[in-house]
Amino acid sequence: MRRYALYLGCTTPTQVIPYELASRWVCRALGIELVDLAEFTCCGMNQVNLSLEAGSLLAAMNLAHAEAKGLDILALCPACAGTLAEETERLRDEGRRARINEALALVGLEYKGRARVRHLSRVLYEDIGPERIRAGVRRDLSALRLAPHYGCHSLKPKSVFEGSDDPDDPRTLHELIAAAGARPLPYATLPLCCGGKSFPVSPEPALSLVRKKLDDLIGRRADGLVVQCQTCYLMYSGQQKAVRERFGDRPLVPVLLYPQLLGLAMGGDPVDDLGLDLSAVPLDGILVKAGLAKWS
Amino acid sequence: MDRRDNASSSAPALGPDASFRRDVLRHEEARGLYACFSCGACTAGCPISEVFPEFSPRKLAKRVKLGLKRDVLEDPYIWRCTTCRGCEQHCPQNVRLYDILNVLKNMAAEAGFAPPAWVEQTRWVMRTGLVYPRDAALAKKRRARSLPALMSRGEQAERLIARTGADKIKAREEP
Repeated sequence: MRRYALYLGCTTPTQVIPYELASRWVCRALGIELVDLAEFTCCGMNQVNLSLEAGSLLAAMNLAHAEAKGLDILALCPACAGTLAEETERLRDEGRRARINEALALVGLEYKGRARVRHLSRVLYEDIGPERIRAGVRRDLSALRLAPHYGCHSLKPKSVFEGSDDPDDPRTLHELIAAAGARPLPYATLPLCCGGKSFPVSPEPALSLVRKKLDDLIGRRADGLVVQCQTCYLMYSGQQKAVRERFGDRPLVPVLLYPQLLGLAMGGDPVDDLGLDLSAVPLDGILVKAGLAKWS
Repeated sequence: MDRRDNASSSAPALGPDASFRRDVLRHEEARGLYACFSCGACTAGCPISEVFPEFSPRKLAKRVKLGLKRDVLEDPYIWRCTTCRGCEQHCPQNVRLYDILNVLKNMAAEAGFAPPAWVEQTRWVMRTGLVYPRDAALAKKRRARSLPALMSRGEQAERLIARTGADKIKAREEP
């Protein structure tokens, strides 16, 4: 059995509970053991706005905690995964590691350079793989045409994703959607950012970005959008109401987090296991096409 | 003491300020800015520029190189970056514009121009370990879904953040 330190991040456990729920369920079903660490905090991603040094110290502190437990990190948030993984790269430099460790000693920690960090989707793709995922499918989802949204932090910076997706032509989420039995839908605005990290400071440009992708999906008659990031989820699902208020009424686009889709395919309960009832946009259309006329 | 030194030690100068460029390039993250030849691949790859043309990574790099300290640090648009790193993705010179922007935001924050949202998040990290508050309603919601209680604490983060001085940064006054 594979064991990982589960890195929840800040947003998922406080605002996107269905992502946590579905991720835990899917991992359990696939034999991935997740260990909760009380010591984990914010990864430092947003602290870099005020102080790059503070951001690095928080990242290094979390890496040191996982390393002390002898565990690699499985992160639900792609931005956390990227921030932590990028810090492992920087800390290969001995001078930098010595300087950071001098600060970490303040809280009784040391980072030796052994932590490995990956996002949930990458663990599913690399450790389990599309073939074994396909073998675990129990529900027929072939009626669903779903658009993959990778999210910026799942693809960039390139150096963090060595040997994984090409940011100009990503394929892994397409393959993961297909492995769950649904049909990945090609669409023009696939690389477009959700604007989530600018939203707390200036909502306007972010909402314009959300609108662009949603309108593309409406035009393509997608059954839904599949995301692998809680912030993308909050923007495309949670902000649809704001987009409609700001730019006028338009059809609703269902949004699923990848482990929700996979859990559905693997026979999970839509409510208890996957939290589909917690969606801001009704998911009835998805459920009907998945052969589930009602909430089970 | 010449005018330049004066400018960097007190209020930023109105016009070009050569020390600004030096201050930015002193950060290891910002090295490489000189390799920029203003081709604009960064702005072409910027989603915020796409919907909000006033935001231009190319022009921002140029303004830094020209030494327009006050113009850059007081610019509210520098905080609109959505951190997608599209600017770096196709840069033919490998300029790390995302890192450079963070250096600029750090300098602007020190000068008193940080948006309240980011200052507030840092405060919460020092208290709860996470960028958000945690209340009884959230604990109840998690219990109802059989999720484990959140255990993170802020003490260690607080000590590390305090070491950098980021705990002292005050938010800009909102109009």
